[in-house]
Amino acid sequence: MAEKAILFDSSKCTACKGCQVACKCWNDLPSPAAGEAKWSGTHQNPIDLNGNTRLIITFNETEAPAAYSTKPIGWAFGRRSCQHCDDAPCATVCPGGAITKDEETGFVTVDDAKCIGCQYCKSACPFDVPRYYNDGTLGKSIINKCTGCIDRIEAGMAPACVSTCQPDALKFGDRDEMLKIAYEKVEWLHDHGYPDACVAGDDENYKTHVIHVLKYGYEAHGQLENPSVPATVAMTQVMKPITAAASGLTVVGLGAMFALAAGYSRRRLVYNPDTQDTLDYDTSEVVQHGDPQDSESVVEHITENLPFGKGGAKHE
Amino acid sequence: MSSKTIAVSAEEQAKNEAFLKERKASGKEMRITRHSKQARITHGVTIVCCILLCISGLFVFVPQLAAAAGAQTVFAIRMSHRVLGVLFVAVPLISAIMAPKGVVHIFKNLFHSWDSDDKKWMLLFFPYLFMAKWIHMPDQGEVKSGQRFADGMLWLFGAEMGITGILLMLGSTVLDFGTGYGIILWLHDLGFLMIAVFGMAHIFLGGGIFQPYRGTHRLMFGDGTVSEADALYHWGHWAREEMTTREHVTEFDAPKTK
Repeated sequence: MAEKAILFDSSKCTACKGCQVACKCWNDLPSPAAGEAKWSGTHQNPIDLNGNTRLIITFNETEAPAAYSTKPIGWAFGRRSCQHCDDAPCATVCPGGAITKDEETGFVTVDDAKCIGCQYCKSACPFDVPRYYNDGTLGKSIINKCTGCIDRIEAGMAPACVSTCQPDALKFGDRDEMLKIAYEKVEWLHDHGYPDACVAGDDENYKTHVIHVLKYGYEAHGQLENPSVPATVAMTQVMKPITAAASGLTVVGLGAMFALAAGYSRRRLVYNPDTQDTLDYDTSEVVQHGDPQDSESVVEHITENLPFGKGGAKHE
Repeated sequence: MSSKTIAVSAEEQAKNEAFLKERKASGKEMRITRHSKQARITHGVTIVCCILLCISGLFVFVPQLAAAAGAQTVFAIRMSHRVLGVLFVAVPLISAIMAPKGVVHIFKNLFHSWDSDDKKWMLLFFPYLFMAKWIHMPDQGEVKSGQRFADGMLWLFGAEMGITGILLMLGSTVLDFGTGYGIILWLHDLGFLMIAVFGMAHIFLGGGIFQPYRGTHRLMFGDGTVSEADALYHWGHWAREEMTTREHVTEFDAPKTK
């Protein structure tokens, strides 16, 4: 199977939110009951992704070109959901193996049952996508994000959001084919008075499996122009082998110290405050008088009790 | 002190022999108290928490362990990690509030200026660890220079772990730090590395696993005392001062020699 992608053409989107509803229906995600939903002051509803919502259509106000609109406000609709990064940092940091990349399609899938609720994925995502729902077990939060409807794709169907899109703003297919369509559409938009139109999701350094045709440019549609993996992802990943190596070396070092000190013994010392002498309890020899600072060099300390040193092989 | 012996006057030698004769006849050994009961309990609770925190943290730090244990088990371990973390932070804080003078004493020792013996001791420490049979170390004050450094690291990274742990807990429950969460997580991982390395060395030395340090476990896991002989070996300057003032010296029955 070739790598797949979802194509979102913002110039065709009417913001009917049918995709949001289809996503909820297919994935059995609850919505606020009648009367529970509150007006948030925007047509964007819910206002952002949440533990029960994997996909929203964003409503961004923009200034429509005068020649094409008689209204003062234009809309730049966007599709906010998982971008299905080719090198998904959320999957890299997931300790429980709950987030994995499907090697055949390239989509980043989720196995709820493996989620341990650490929320590391949230800090790794350049698009701030992962959200969590509470499963009731001591407030355990479980990740909720778009899976690309991998179950539908495996059954030969398109993702739920794509299947329901009436204006044909969403398409699904081989990634190369989706890109071809996207670039052709952007060229058409350039020719028809939309100079800022661009393709998102095909950055040379950051490829995703959701491709966007952005009629008014990145910013107008709320898309990142240059997404990048947060540096903390690599930093936390590199800590694992470093910690393992440092701990291993410490254990080996301590083991060597223990082995080399086998058979260690030393004389028993006592202190006579009256004469200020430190004495060998068994031989009565005075090993030090008073409490001076040490006068030997570091090298003398190391060598004096070695067989070739001044003090012979006897240690304290 | 070295293996050399010092010649003293006949009069001084006679005094020393009389001192030893009296000491041997008494059947007693002198022990110096280093740590109070509260310090030992605080240390004990903290070290148990620290070890359990390291073990429970491994289940998130090592993906293979998490996968082997399963999500529900790892979740339970994560929750226990939080409870242990609260104890790890709260117990020393409560102890510090109960004994502020003790805290001042600890930090005075920690930041005590290094004299020539301290610097020499630190330079000799690594060779000594591998050549303990041959190298004698310079005398030390109440806390060895290396001990100050290692304890300082444990204090520093223990505090760092406590603070970042609380922030991680808040960041996954009531606050949203965004990508800052990743930085906090990295600092927590760094703290784990440092605690693991310094903690293992601390257990090896302080627990008396290392042969020259045999008996030191009694300082924190026993009655908090150190024998005069061990004190003179480990903290010579301090031991002589204590044996002169006798403020913290107690007589015990001497252990039977073989």
